[in-house]
Amino acid sequence: MKQIRTKKPHTSLLGAKASRRLGNAIIYLLLTVITVVWLFPFFGIVLESFRVESGAQVGYLWPKQFGADNYIRLLRETDFLRWFINTGIMGVATAILQTVFVLSMSYTLSRLRFKGRRGLMNFMLILGMFPGFLTLILIYKVFVDLGLTANMAPLGLIIVYCASSGMGYYVAKGFFDTIPKSLDEAARVDGATRLQVFYKVIMPLSKPIVIYTVLMGFMAPWGDFMLANYLIHENSRGMSVAVGMFEWLSRANMNEKYTLFCAAGVIVSIPVVSVFLLLQRYYVEGVTGGAVKG
Amino acid sequence: MATVKLTNVKKIYGKDTVAVQDFNLDIADKEFIVFVGPSGCGKSTTLRMIAGLEDISEGTVEIDGVVVNDLQPRDRDIAMVFQNYALYPHLTVFENMAFSLRLRHAPQEVVYQKVTEAAEILDITEYLTRKPRALSGGQRQRVAIGRAMVRDSKVFLMDEPLSNLDAKLRNQMRAEIILLRQKIDTTFIYVTHDQTEAMTLGDRIVIMKDGFIQQVGTPTEVFDMPLNLFVAEFIGAPKMNTFATELAHEDGKYYVKPYGAKIEVTGKKAAMLADKQVASGEIILGVRPEHFKLTNANDPAAIACKITVNEMMGSELHLHAQTENGDKLIVRIPTVSLDDEVRHSMVYSQTIYVTFEGKVMHFFDKETEQNLLV
Amino acid sequence: MKRLNDLEYLRLDKGRAFLYNVVMFFCAIPGFFGGAILKLLRLCKKGVTAIGKEIADIVRTFVRGNWAVRLSFVIFGFGNFYYGQPLRGALFLLFELVFCAYMLVPGGARHWLGLAFKETSLLARSGFEWLVKSNFLQTGQTVGDVPPREEIVQGLLGSTTVTVYGDDSVKVLLYALLSIFFIIAFIYTWRLQIRQCRICMDITAKGKKVRSGKQDLASLVDDQFHKTMLALPLVGILTFTVLPIIYMVLIAFTSYDAAHDGYANLFSWVGLHNFNQLFNFGQGGLGLAFGEILAWTLMWSFFATFTNYFLGMFVAIMINKKGIKIKKFWRTVLVMTIAIPQFVSLLYVSRLFDDSGVLGKLLINGVNTLVDWNVLPDSMTLAANFSLWDGEWTAKILLIVLNIWIGIPYIMLMATGILMNIPTDLYESSRIDGANTFQQYARITLPYMLFVTGPYLLTSFVGNLNNFNVIYLLTGGGPNNGIAGGVSVGHTDLLITWLYRMTIESPKAEYYTASIIGIMVFLVVAILSLIVYNVIPSTKNEEDFK
Repeated sequence: MKQIRTKKPHTSLLGAKASRRLGNAIIYLLLTVITVVWLFPFFGIVLESFRVESGAQVGYLWPKQFGADNYIRLLRETDFLRWFINTGIMGVATAILQTVFVLSMSYTLSRLRFKGRRGLMNFMLILGMFPGFLTLILIYKVFVDLGLTANMAPLGLIIVYCASSGMGYYVAKGFFDTIPKSLDEAARVDGATRLQVFYKVIMPLSKPIVIYTVLMGFMAPWGDFMLANYLIHENSRGMSVAVGMFEWLSRANMNEKYTLFCAAGVIVSIPVVSVFLLLQRYYVEGVTGGAVKG
Repeated sequence: MATVKLTNVKKIYGKDTVAVQDFNLDIADKEFIVFVGPSGCGKSTTLRMIAGLEDISEGTVEIDGVVVNDLQPRDRDIAMVFQNYALYPHLTVFENMAFSLRLRHAPQEVVYQKVTEAAEILDITEYLTRKPRALSGGQRQRVAIGRAMVRDSKVFLMDEPLSNLDAKLRNQMRAEIILLRQKIDTTFIYVTHDQTEAMTLGDRIVIMKDGFIQQVGTPTEVFDMPLNLFVAEFIGAPKMNTFATELAHEDGKYYVKPYGAKIEVTGKKAAMLADKQVASGEIILGVRPEHFKLTNANDPAAIACKITVNEMMGSELHLHAQTENGDKLIVRIPTVSLDDEVRHSMVYSQTIYVTFEGKVMHFFDKETEQNLLV
Repeated sequence: MKRLNDLEYLRLDKGRAFLYNVVMFFCAIPGFFGGAILKLLRLCKKGVTAIGKEIADIVRTFVRGNWAVRLSFVIFGFGNFYYGQPLRGALFLLFELVFCAYMLVPGGARHWLGLAFKETSLLARSGFEWLVKSNFLQTGQTVGDVPPREEIVQGLLGSTTVTVYGDDSVKVLLYALLSIFFIIAFIYTWRLQIRQCRICMDITAKGKKVRSGKQDLASLVDDQFHKTMLALPLVGILTFTVLPIIYMVLIAFTSYDAAHDGYANLFSWVGLHNFNQLFNFGQGGLGLAFGEILAWTLMWSFFATFTNYFLGMFVAIMINKKGIKIKKFWRTVLVMTIAIPQFVSLLYVSRLFDDSGVLGKLLINGVNTLVDWNVLPDSMTLAANFSLWDGEWTAKILLIVLNIWIGIPYIMLMATGILMNIPTDLYESSRIDGANTFQQYARITLPYMLFVTGPYLLTSFVGNLNNFNVIYLLTGGGPNNGIAGGVSVGHTDLLITWLYRMTIESPKAEYYTASIIGIMVFLVVAILSLIVYNVIPSTKNEEDFK
């Protein structure tokens, strides 16, 4: 039998304290580099949005002449305000509807037991493996007939964002799974119907996930380009910010509207970022919970 | 206040996992019934079927003569205390206790009166405005009981209510439940895995194992006359010593011969053996630890064994010992009955001689493990 | 190879144990597929017996039933009316009426949906006719049978040619599919109400009362609450996901593209022709383009997922290290990238690296200066319009790097949560056992993370597979790779962007190819998930780490 020995305690050049300080110093350095890299584009976009001398890309960041010209042009010469309002309306509507869909789906799958529950979950899992965009080809054709594209595209988009949102139940279900089952049972013994259990017991405990779902719903239209671009297609009053602003960076428009894009980007980011940072805690909870639950 | 009657109740999970079967029980009005058994024996499942939280696969459950199989829990008029308390974290203690009354739209003064009354009894009045998370385990337990109390329900169900508490608190709460029971005069069904709770609380005890009822009886009945080996070993602490041995019928007298000793069966047990005309043969003998006593090597009834562990419990000694062929025994001896000298000699590997009286034995069939005297 | 028991296994040293596991894994594969086939067969058998039982029950109900029950074989819900369930009866009857109106009344389908549809075609057909005229899945036949025709109309000012529209294949197929849905629903409902009749019959025979309409309604907030809750989301999923997906899968078997679209020209069923094209590596086939894009898609997903995963975890560990201050600040900096809409940040960053963008310029000037200083050879001189986006590999690498910029924050947040969940006593006990910081990371943190995030890795891999935003907004799929394939194919195109560009950018709009790509994406994801779920531990032993 070999004898297993404890290693000799090794003595480092630096003391334990000093080596920890060195380690921390390196980490601070890395984090600072990361901060600079991560924030660089955002400083860039803000700076360029205040550039007066040229509307094109110029190869330098610091404007020679500062001014709010781009912002004024944005409101005077373009339909940006309309797009912004469109997207805002979509954001609010999606936040509400999607929350209803997602919560009722996830609550049911998490806390109620019924025949076909497993089957339904497997079915949705398989369904989710198809690229969602594919469905839009047919939906677009039907929406053209229903008049839900072009000028009415925001309405069409709200439907697209919300109708199937029940399939994204995973994160919320993960949350509901963590609430002890005996609370439902106690309430039911106390005389509550399942509906009462839902809104008197579980909902008051679910603030984090409700906020998370609302947040996700609100952000969806602001970030979506793929679906919106497909449904809106041509220039119209129904454009969302993503589709409208995308055009400004095309080869044809770049030389004139590049700084306009920057200014619009800043304006778009303000509401979204502020809402997001305000509710960051809930977002983090959702992301973590969802990942851990799988 | 009601009777509860279970007839041929059976619970099957999924395709063929049987949790409970052949469950027949009549619970009288205002009786305190305890379901006890090791984990997985089906006791909680049975309780949850009575509560309506689990479907009943077969058989019927009646409360006050009405079959409740298809009734929702809220229509059964029951109250229940859960193992982990299941207090609503977002409601204050008052609102927790008032929850069921609010659902029934009771007027505020009734709610106030009932809740404060219950709080008074449970001594939690000063916490009424707190949220559950600001309470200790014992206080939460009281709130959970209080929540069930305000209901004035027909049946009071308790699912291992004390198992989340530490030992000291558990003893205290157990005593309080006994007091409580005198104040709220209703039918209790209480589930526990702890035989002490079962013995101290129950009017009658239902001992379960693997989904089957093993025995139903008062604490004295199940202690004195366990129907089978399982009940014998389950009830009583430390558990009963059992060993395979021979029962001999010689000259109209019965003897048992464990480990070379020869002990005559006397008293009621002997009469019962004779009554049943039990023949000689291999049996399983059961002797409770407290029925052993020390003796010396010369006693023909002495069993020699070596001490493995000596547990000093204060008022008594629990001696874990090993017989010559390796079987394990537990002997329980009052401390006062021993001289200091003897007590100090009880150390590891010391040989001691023990015996027991003829009237305290239990006899079980070697094959069926049933009590031979029933 | 012999399967070892636990104790024998424990004797193996590390290398052999690994080898043993690998061998066992491959040995298990035939068993796995065998098991799957067996399972499928068993399922089939179960299905057949179930149908047999249903039929037997229907027959029995008819034989034993009274006149009311028998009548409900024809008139839906009659039995319910008879046994005192008018609410259910009325719903069943209503369904039957709607079904008949849709399937049998000419134009019924149109009038019914016509409230919403602005129908330009003048044809009035019943749902049943639509199904017939669609020539469902009959290779070589057109979908619909009335092509548009030119008609000469004599007017006051002489004759003019007018196009008279006939069928629109897109809608013919849609109506036909709806008819199929309806027929399935009809059969199901028919069976359902017959069963309910029998149950009512049995209950009444026992002398009990059947559930009243009021009880039915009350149960919708109680023991049938799941129906109430699921109704809305499921209707949404059914109409906006299930129906369109089945429709689009059917399109893979047709010739639907811009040239055969709508009223202008009927499209037809082509059988497996499109699938053959996908594996045709010759001229005009899609094989080469598909092969290249699939390879890049998988490569991209792999790198995008794992670079993010490990770097993100690294950043999280740095931020969460004891003694590091202003943790919240570092975190918020990263979270900014999540908060800002991707089309803003990605489009802007993409232009930063253009030839005239700040970073692009910086790169050109920097390299050229180095060449001037003779640090780099002359051959590396960059042209003034050089852009990283123009080279195949520079573009690909830049994509992966920029994706780190986008992706790390998500992983960082997630990892932070998990790191905080790792019990500290694990670290304390390992320190007493003699582990150093690195060993702690390798033996506690990493296994824990991998275990907990196993399913997440799969999700994230699949997410990257379909990461439309990053690719489309950064490169738009470019640079073009010159492989002819109906549509311009880019070096950085993923299957999903290819699909997208095919339908929206290409004038030919080959919907059938789009459909096939969609099916391929599905297959890739499905196969991947199947493998992963059978390999990673956390899907099996959920409790291991708790």
